[in-house]
Amino acid sequence: MLDWVQSLGRVGLARLAAFGRAGQLLVQALVARPDPVMMFPLLVKQLYFVGVLSLIIIVVSGGFIGMVLGLQGYTILVDYGSEQAVGQMVALSLVRELAPVVTALLFAGRAGSALTAEIGLMKATEQLASLEMIGVDPLRRVIAPRFWAGFISMPILTMIFSVVGIWGGAIVAVEWLGIFDGSFWANMQQAVDFRDDVLNGVIKSIVFGFVVTWIAVFEGYDCTPTSLGISQATTRTVVFSSLAVLGLDFILTALMFGEL
Amino acid sequence: MESQTDNIIDIKGMTFSRSGRVIFDNIDLSIPRGRVTAIMGPSGTGKTTLLKLIGGQLPPDKGQILLDGENIPSLSRTELFIARERMGMLFQSGALFTDMSVFENVAFPIQVHTDLPADMIRDIVLMKLQAVGLRGAQHLMPSELSGGMARRVALARAIALDPDIVMYDEPFTGQDPIAMGVLVNLIRRLNQALGHTSIIVSHDIKETLGIADYVYVVADGRVVAQGSPEDLAGVDSDKVRQFMQGLPDGPVPFHYPAPDYLQELLQDIR
Amino acid sequence: MRMRTMEIGVGFLMLAGFLALVVLALNISGLSLADQGSGYKIYARFENIGGLTPRAKVAMSGVQIGEVTAIRLDPQMLMAEVEMKIRDEVNYLSTDSSAQILTSGLLGEQYIGITSGAEDEMLGEGDRIRDTQSALVLEDLIGKFLFNKVSE
Repeated sequence: MLDWVQSLGRVGLARLAAFGRAGQLLVQALVARPDPVMMFPLLVKQLYFVGVLSLIIIVVSGGFIGMVLGLQGYTILVDYGSEQAVGQMVALSLVRELAPVVTALLFAGRAGSALTAEIGLMKATEQLASLEMIGVDPLRRVIAPRFWAGFISMPILTMIFSVVGIWGGAIVAVEWLGIFDGSFWANMQQAVDFRDDVLNGVIKSIVFGFVVTWIAVFEGYDCTPTSLGISQATTRTVVFSSLAVLGLDFILTALMFGEL
Repeated sequence: MESQTDNIIDIKGMTFSRSGRVIFDNIDLSIPRGRVTAIMGPSGTGKTTLLKLIGGQLPPDKGQILLDGENIPSLSRTELFIARERMGMLFQSGALFTDMSVFENVAFPIQVHTDLPADMIRDIVLMKLQAVGLRGAQHLMPSELSGGMARRVALARAIALDPDIVMYDEPFTGQDPIAMGVLVNLIRRLNQALGHTSIIVSHDIKETLGIADYVYVVADGRVVAQGSPEDLAGVDSDKVRQFMQGLPDGPVPFHYPAPDYLQELLQDIR
Repeated sequence: MRMRTMEIGVGFLMLAGFLALVVLALNISGLSLADQGSGYKIYARFENIGGLTPRAKVAMSGVQIGEVTAIRLDPQMLMAEVEMKIRDEVNYLSTDSSAQILTSGLLGEQYIGITSGAEDEMLGEGDRIRDTQSALVLEDLIGKFLFNKVSE
């Protein structure tokens, strides 16, 4: 029993120490010495890898989720005779909830794990140590551009997800199920508020982008530089960022829509 | 004062331990200027760690690491980066940046540390690549290189800024005999041509002794023997002899410490 | 060349993101830029506003002509006072118009429906609609129904 408590304590302390190191990394990489001129081409490159290459999975998932929402919403709402409200339902659930959360989860799986593996591999092949010896701060050269790229990409991807999802829902509802085009869009426009719904969704995605990229970059930088260490770090990135996204989503939703 | 003019690096009373294990115990070591110094010893004695300590990537627990009289561990981060401009390091895995071509890899340190125009950087890079015989490979990516070629490119990058000290971390491991011969030759020739100080960390005895002017043998956290390669052949120490001649058993035992063999076998039956 | 493809890709990503924001703003949340600020305020008192909230729509014959901007309790009259903003182009509401709290669908949200009267004078900034009809409150309705049954 005491052993169990002890091991619990050890795990807790190790997590706490890791959290401290992660904070240190964040401060050093971002606050301490930014260098926008040198960073710009690196940032473009990372935006390409993190943002552009995630686009396909975001568009495809967004489209399908919107279509499913359209179908499901219709079958439920038709019982109450208010099937024209399906546009409002699709749009609100996407813009407020599904787009930020699902984008963040997909992003963690697609870009976050890739970031962790890449940085871990650079550590294992001594590329980070080599940068140090050449006299270049790897935090500035490797970590900072990746971090900003994730931070910038996430809200963009989330908005694209929303739009594609709503189009997907519209195709199902209007083209297949025969809801009147005008009432679909009018209902939606009446229900969705730009500041309360759209902007709050974007704020959520900015928070998620920050957290997911932070976790991914830190796990890569802090991993044990072996094959096993990298694979464990990649798994940790996906697990921790998914948990963080879902937990933060509840907190943010409570703050934004819960009228606390 | 005399030793400071002779030696580019002086390590004095340095102790370093990692996760409770003492790697170096109050060690003293001097690297003579302009020569090839080899640091040898069995695996796991922290030879690579020693290079990292000299490069300031790890701080020692106590003691001094003097580079021309400057104590590396007490330098600020900016001063350390300036001191590192005088050092070139060849990592065990080569450590080429995988997202850059061979040319860009060699050009990288020059671009970072100088404001030279692009055509001048190009000339320097081509000279360095010519020196390691890989000018023809400048457009390849690191993934397209063989292990020996990658290490030669890494060497070209390490000497790109004409450093005072070049550190080689296990330059010969995992190389075929031809690549090994090329590297041995290169290290010797570059040392003579460029006049820098070379530090080689290795456990490949024959190749290392062939090019070293001075050798330290490190084991169990301290220097067990030092001298010129000829001196070492005559050292009367079991440890040194075992290592130099590659005997399977001796003071460094073949068996990892374990309970009695027979007893453990019987224990399994219960 | 490699850099060029990447820059083009990132450029497209940025463009797509910007377009998405525009679509979200105009097409999906129905934000129209002229909507803000222009309009005149009118007031109405209700016995009971039911579930009416600020930002609820104000409609005439089902067509939106403005929105509810504030709801407060008038301490003298002990009635709810609703402030609503009507679009400028809707300048043909007569002073004897009536306001009614309606529900869209059986379970939908509540809104204010306005029916125009016959006067020649039109409502302007700060005017008050006198003829109002409160929200239907289900409990009151059931109560009345039962009372009528008992008294029969």
